[in-house]
Amino acid sequence: MRSIDEIAEPFQMMEPDMRLELLLEYAAELPPLPERYVEMRDAGLNMVHECQSPVFLMPEVEHDNGAAQVRVYGDVPESAPTARAFTAILHEAFDGATPADVRAAPDDLLNRLGLDGLLGMQRTQGLSAIYQRLKAEVNRKAQTSSEGESAS
Amino acid sequence: MADYAHPEVLVSTDWAADHLDDSDDVRFVEANEDVLLYKTGHLPGAVNVDWVQDLQDDTVRDFIGPDEFAALCSRLGIAPDTKVVFYGDKNNWWACYAFWVFKLYGHADCAVMDGGRKKWENEGRAFTTDVPDYPETDYPVPSGADGSIRAFRQDVETHQKNGGPMVDVRSPEEFKGEITHIPGLPEESSMRPGHIPGARNVPWASAANDEDGTFKPREELAEIYEQTEGLDPTEDTIAYCRIGERSSHTWFVLTYLLGFDNVKNYDGSWTEWGNLVAAPIETGEAGS
Repeated sequence: MRSIDEIAEPFQMMEPDMRLELLLEYAAELPPLPERYVEMRDAGLNMVHECQSPVFLMPEVEHDNGAAQVRVYGDVPESAPTARAFTAILHEAFDGATPADVRAAPDDLLNRLGLDGLLGMQRTQGLSAIYQRLKAEVNRKAQTSSEGESAS
Repeated sequence: MADYAHPEVLVSTDWAADHLDDSDDVRFVEANEDVLLYKTGHLPGAVNVDWVQDLQDDTVRDFIGPDEFAALCSRLGIAPDTKVVFYGDKNNWWACYAFWVFKLYGHADCAVMDGGRKKWENEGRAFTTDVPDYPETDYPVPSGADGSIRAFRQDVETHQKNGGPMVDVRSPEEFKGEITHIPGLPEESSMRPGHIPGARNVPWASAANDEDGTFKPREELAEIYEQTEGLDPTEDTIAYCRIGERSSHTWFVLTYLLGFDNVKNYDGSWTEWGNLVAAPIETGEAGS
């Protein structure tokens, strides 16, 4: 796990073509979807509908000795490498984070990664939707699981 | 393919496989929705044209100008008499968009590889990550853009007032105005949901076969656009979507596969019309 700033730094320093190469590396690094979610994905549940490609995103809030921990599970076909890369970046940034980290994460993530200029505004819409889905789901699940507890 | 009105604008994957080495006369151009896809592998010898990086000029919110178009062709080793064969992801959606831009600047011999990447992949054909390098050409700067295939908002206003036929190729939810604003969305979205009064709704992908991305046979296309929606090949018709990309696919279908006399793509589309002052809109189903 690395912070958004750590992930963003090479993107901000690189030429556009190298940024694309870096994205390709991320696309190759998206961890396989755990077996228990495959059926859900194949049934078309938890898809990010704003995306032009079938993007499955299943953020979870798990509890380890009482501490809430975010898990980012997702799957994107190899025919959509950009959405796949972005999902891998979200995994890198937030898998293992606290719900408070996700809540505090900047809204202009695509801008910080230098992706909006690289991809064009039309193409970042689906990626924004993936990110918003992550934030909304983590928020919802953190609230549901911490009923009665004080917020972290 | 022979049944289509202008079958010469389509080539099969077989034809493409037989002409991969024919780079003196044929240039394969991959055009994708996904900016990374070409780098993951493409047809041997194919060049990449990216709709954001190569075809648009954000500083004027327009397509590249004639000078940039000539420079693009020269860089890709395309001469005025080169046959340019477009193909790509998503049922050739962006391939049709690139085709439309090339036609806007009058490139004579353009074609689409039926089925695009999907069919090529389904058939187990070769992909490569090698990026070819062709000798630069000296493509002449076109005198201007071909206004006969592009509608500006003034054209659409006049057309709409006169009750001219229009086809809105977005999803039924977008057409009916059920989808409004997505939280956190960048500025592309329109302020008002709905459609241009008088438009019919035929989602763009209705024209393609799901399993391999090829175009449907002519009689099925005629059934959808002419019999069901009542569009008439002899009437001037305007196609639009959200930013003019999906509608270039429908423009291609109506113009070349069904042989409509005069179809314009309104590339300003809903992002423009939905935000225009004093422009009427409608929500719900298409009127009868």
